[in-house]
Amino acid sequence: MKKIILVFIFSNFLMSELVLEITQGAEDPYRVALIPFNGEKNISETLNDVIKNDLFRSGEFNIYGIDSLLSIPKNEDEIVFNDFKILNIDYLVTGNITNMDQNISAQYEVYDIKKGAKIRSSTVFGIPNKNRQLGHYVSDGIYEEITGIRGIASTKILYVTQNKTFNLVIADADGKNEQMLLKSSEPIISPTWSPDSRKVAYVSFETGMAKVFIQDIASGKREIVIENSSQISSPSWSPDGKFLSLTMYQDGNAEIYILNLKNKNLTRLTNHYAIDTESTWSPRGSKIMFTSGRSGSPQLYELDLRKFNARPKRLTFEGNYNAKGSYLPNNDGIVFVHRAKSNFQIALKYFNENFVRPLTDAQMDESPSISPNGNVIVYSITDQGMGLLSGVTLSGAKFRLPAKYGAVREPSWSGFLR
Amino acid sequence: MFIFKNNINLIIVLIFISSCSTLNVTQESVNSENIMTIETSGPKDDYINYDSQAVFANATIYFEFDKSNLTSKSIQTLKSAVNALKENSSIKITLAGHADERGTREYNLALGQRRAEIVSDYLVLNGIQNQRITVKSYGEERPAVIGQDEQSYAKNRRVDIN
Repeated sequence: MKKIILVFIFSNFLMSELVLEITQGAEDPYRVALIPFNGEKNISETLNDVIKNDLFRSGEFNIYGIDSLLSIPKNEDEIVFNDFKILNIDYLVTGNITNMDQNISAQYEVYDIKKGAKIRSSTVFGIPNKNRQLGHYVSDGIYEEITGIRGIASTKILYVTQNKTFNLVIADADGKNEQMLLKSSEPIISPTWSPDSRKVAYVSFETGMAKVFIQDIASGKREIVIENSSQISSPSWSPDGKFLSLTMYQDGNAEIYILNLKNKNLTRLTNHYAIDTESTWSPRGSKIMFTSGRSGSPQLYELDLRKFNARPKRLTFEGNYNAKGSYLPNNDGIVFVHRAKSNFQIALKYFNENFVRPLTDAQMDESPSISPNGNVIVYSITDQGMGLLSGVTLSGAKFRLPAKYGAVREPSWSGFLR
Repeated sequence: MFIFKNNINLIIVLIFISSCSTLNVTQESVNSENIMTIETSGPKDDYINYDSQAVFANATIYFEFDKSNLTSKSIQTLKSAVNALKENSSIKITLAGHADERGTREYNLALGQRRAEIVSDYLVLNGIQNQRITVKSYGEERPAVIGQDEQSYAKNRRVDIN
């Protein structure tokens, strides 16, 4: 089998180094020529870098810059399709940047080389000093036009970092533009987005024990979801945003409950002397998957919420540790932490297959979170005792994300934001 | 053969349709993103001055990986803790359960809780009043020792009695 090995290190970012390490990308990647957009040089360079990295990181694209092209069209009339055809290039992207009175916009075109025709013409209106965001929007437009799948360059990742304090941080999907949501002297775990990506839920130990909080991203307004003396953890939002499943330790043992966020009613889902935790909702909200120790080791189970008094159905049988599952957005499988012998790895199991597909092979890979288009999984790794974030695409491309604030862990991918 | 021919016709039609390429014209604006940073800190009473507490009840109970059962060595330690608690009937204790860093954080939080509950059950069975005991878990968030080896892991799978 053909294996493409490309290692790109962008060393111009000293503190936060973006390492794209693509081992085994797509078998037949889209070949795209990207001409730097006309307009202000520094904006054009930023956009070019952002778009190139976004498309490359997906593992589905090979990007050709001006150095590897036969002709560089300045406008539509100058395009010689044959010059691109000879190089086996599938698509050409050109664009213009307009920047007048703080009103910045990017206008771009996608050409199909085989057809010799323009297939997309788009305009994105930006925000002052947010040129990277503008670039991500352009990347997503190009990605969608070519693959037919919604892009995730404009989405965000939420995660926990630890240096002197515990921090809850939001960054762009490429690891840049880090912004702190919460800074605490006490541990923060299990961060997760609301379905509309306007709020986050997480567990904070600031009261002296684990409690679930909801925080509004824009206003910073936050609340404890249940006021009682019990330890509460592992929040997960229902797809409609009306309910939160969580783990409560009311009887001393970890059991899963569903909290109605409007009237604060609690419904108990599990009742077993073993540990039940890490609940998560199926894409349509009809099922809940969770980790349970009821078989003697942690394994994944599923409860059908439509059935009255349903018994949990065991989903994993391979390996001695299967935990923290999440459903693929199209509901054709699950991604989880899997341990076969002694290493913890991220694994995928399709419902129509009876075997587990390991996606990573390090020793301590944890906390997988799936991109909203289902194509990429971000997870935490431990490298020389230090926590870092890494990503793997379903096509097999792997990359690492930069982070500034110390040890990084527990990434959670936002929904679509564009 | 007939079906085959039909398929070819279909493919020709599809090629024809796709070659009449349509131009996709779009317009959109970058959404603004406001993020507020909040700072918080733990409760003051979380940092107990252990010197003023009856230190003789302090002890640490250790566990196997993914296990919460008491070993004979743990029971020895707990027996002295029970005696110390009976001799000093005024002191209250906190049982904080912990796990090593292997495995998922939420499962480890539950495992730490389970370990602390089992120690609590032992104390209650041996005549210590429930009201004197606070049980909580820190999962893998507060390791006693930093390290990625079995020795460090063993020291982190514990219940601290304070």
